[in-house]
Amino acid sequence: MTALPANDIVGTKSSRRPTGLLLVAAPVLLVCWLIIWPIISAIIRTVWLPDTAGERRFSLETYQFFFSDQYSINNLMVTLWTTAVTALILLLICLPIALYLRFATNRIAAYVQGLAIFPMFVPSIILSYAFIRVLGPNGTVDLLLNAVHLPHIRSPYLTPWGPVLGLVWDNIPLTVLILLSGLGNVSNQSIEAARDVGAGRIAVLWHIILPRISNSLLVAVSFTVLGIFSAFTLPYVLGPAAPEMMGPFMQRTFRDLNDPTTAITQAVIAFGFCIVFGLFYVYSVAKNRAP
Amino acid sequence: MAMLDIQGVTKKFSTTMAVDDFSLTVADGELVCLLGPSGSGKSTLLRMIGGFETPSGGLITIDGDDVTRVPPERRPTGMVFQSHALWTHMNVFNNLAFGLKLRHLPKAEIRQKVEAVLELVGLSGYGSRATTQLSGGQQQRVALARSLVLEPKILLLDEPFASLDQHLRERLREEVRDIQQRLKITTLFVTHGQDEALALADRIVVMRDGHTEQADRPDVVYREPASPFVAGFIGSMNLVDGTIANNVFTHTGFTVPLTAADGQATLAVRPEALHIVPASGVGMAKIHRVTDYGTHAIVDIDLPDGVRLKAMVGEARAWTAGQAINLKPRAFAAYRDNVAIFRSLDNHG
Repeated sequence: MTALPANDIVGTKSSRRPTGLLLVAAPVLLVCWLIIWPIISAIIRTVWLPDTAGERRFSLETYQFFFSDQYSINNLMVTLWTTAVTALILLLICLPIALYLRFATNRIAAYVQGLAIFPMFVPSIILSYAFIRVLGPNGTVDLLLNAVHLPHIRSPYLTPWGPVLGLVWDNIPLTVLILLSGLGNVSNQSIEAARDVGAGRIAVLWHIILPRISNSLLVAVSFTVLGIFSAFTLPYVLGPAAPEMMGPFMQRTFRDLNDPTTAITQAVIAFGFCIVFGLFYVYSVAKNRAP
Repeated sequence: MAMLDIQGVTKKFSTTMAVDDFSLTVADGELVCLLGPSGSGKSTLLRMIGGFETPSGGLITIDGDDVTRVPPERRPTGMVFQSHALWTHMNVFNNLAFGLKLRHLPKAEIRQKVEAVLELVGLSGYGSRATTQLSGGQQQRVALARSLVLEPKILLLDEPFASLDQHLRERLREEVRDIQQRLKITTLFVTHGQDEALALADRIVVMRDGHTEQADRPDVVYREPASPFVAGFIGSMNLVDGTIANNVFTHTGFTVPLTAADGQATLAVRPEALHIVPASGVGMAKIHRVTDYGTHAIVDIDLPDGVRLKAMVGEARAWTAGQAINLKPRAFAAYRDNVAIFRSLDNHG
């Protein structure tokens, strides 16, 4: 038997490159068709508007309307507020859980991980109704408080805090998994080395662990922001009627007001905020992959 | 610098006894190597001294202060890990300065100490380098410098050269020895490499199943191993089971005169102490293979029952495979029940 030269088996550098590109061609084309083109098309449709004579011309009037309409601005603001508060609460909840899961060696950690991942298997609509039944007016909490003659709680249902609570619950699994994967890259020995030179638990967290998982934090925040900005069910069911988050706002503008151009404008503006975090994510992935 | 005293330390992991009633005193400025196979408890013991494991029982004192349950960040020890454990998000300077910054030292003093220790390990001018830009040997030097810069009372090294190639390992161990002697720092060095232990240590502690098998000077451990385990673990050793009767050890035709009570025994002979002579007839054994290493040759010898021994000879050319020979051990020991029952007078190979 004659041994083949290595190049004949694995292909040369130049012959490998087109094969690799061909392998990713199908998903890239799909992304172009189903994502990139709709984005371009949406932008064109919101800036290339028909005038009274039916002639199409360049105009920014839908954007001018959005940013001059107080109701639209309030909706954008409540969406940004919900996103920021949810992302912050998620990090405050998920980082300790991920740290515990990374460093705990007992059996309880397995149960905690199961519980942390559980919300992933609960559909948003079921979560919403469960939330209403527990924290809503005359819900379980109210009934229990009433049983011991305590006053009713101020229910977060139909307030901006309703979507925040629902979205936090809904995003816990993904955030925990992303942070846990980042913490997997922090070796025990690097932490022990820090403790050896005199670092206490807080110093280890601040100077060693957090800098080492900064990429994962960025990815977690990006995913959370992207998910919350496009959320519909939880804000629609749990949130207030006004101001409303961008998801329900777009749907209502499109269906109830039958104004697709304004709805698309709202979508493009929402996309503008999301793309910033999308680019953060892409930058983070590219940085990690750099040789 | 400091004296380390370990008294009756044990460590149990669920059902496994990793370290079993271990005691050792390391004198001021002494370099002790903990040597043993994987699972012998040497790393666990080192981690208990460093504070990364809490002993199940016993006492660890440094200069008389009980540190048994003191956390690592408050112990006067410095540890060098096998995987370097450098913080890749910091450059070399910050890796070394981190511990000093935690102690709130003035910036000028931090800079002066870091530069001094970089010079000590031969890395002057490397402060601004990223740790990922360094070679394996340079990374291990930085890890050593990171421990030394804090001027610990006890330096702990956990197989620090295991991931390096042989050439670099030899060079670095000489450097570590030089630095240790210059600083007169009390040092515990864990290794499973006998060469490393023999080259470095003032004293070797051979560990097995969590306890001390032998603790002595390297030359004593090599020449007078306390048990067949130590004999087999340190250096190359021929171990032959046989019977002693009328002051003669016998194993299928291989006989050695000695002075010991009758009974079963294990004969231990190092290859360099096993003298071979051509036999006129059948002989005690036959040569299986001769391997020439240039400076010396190793002769593989088969006894009649298939037991294989090794002898070191100066010239390969004098010996051929299949040749009948007689064996004349010049230095040897006999063991029974894990205890030496006889050592030949010429026990220095």
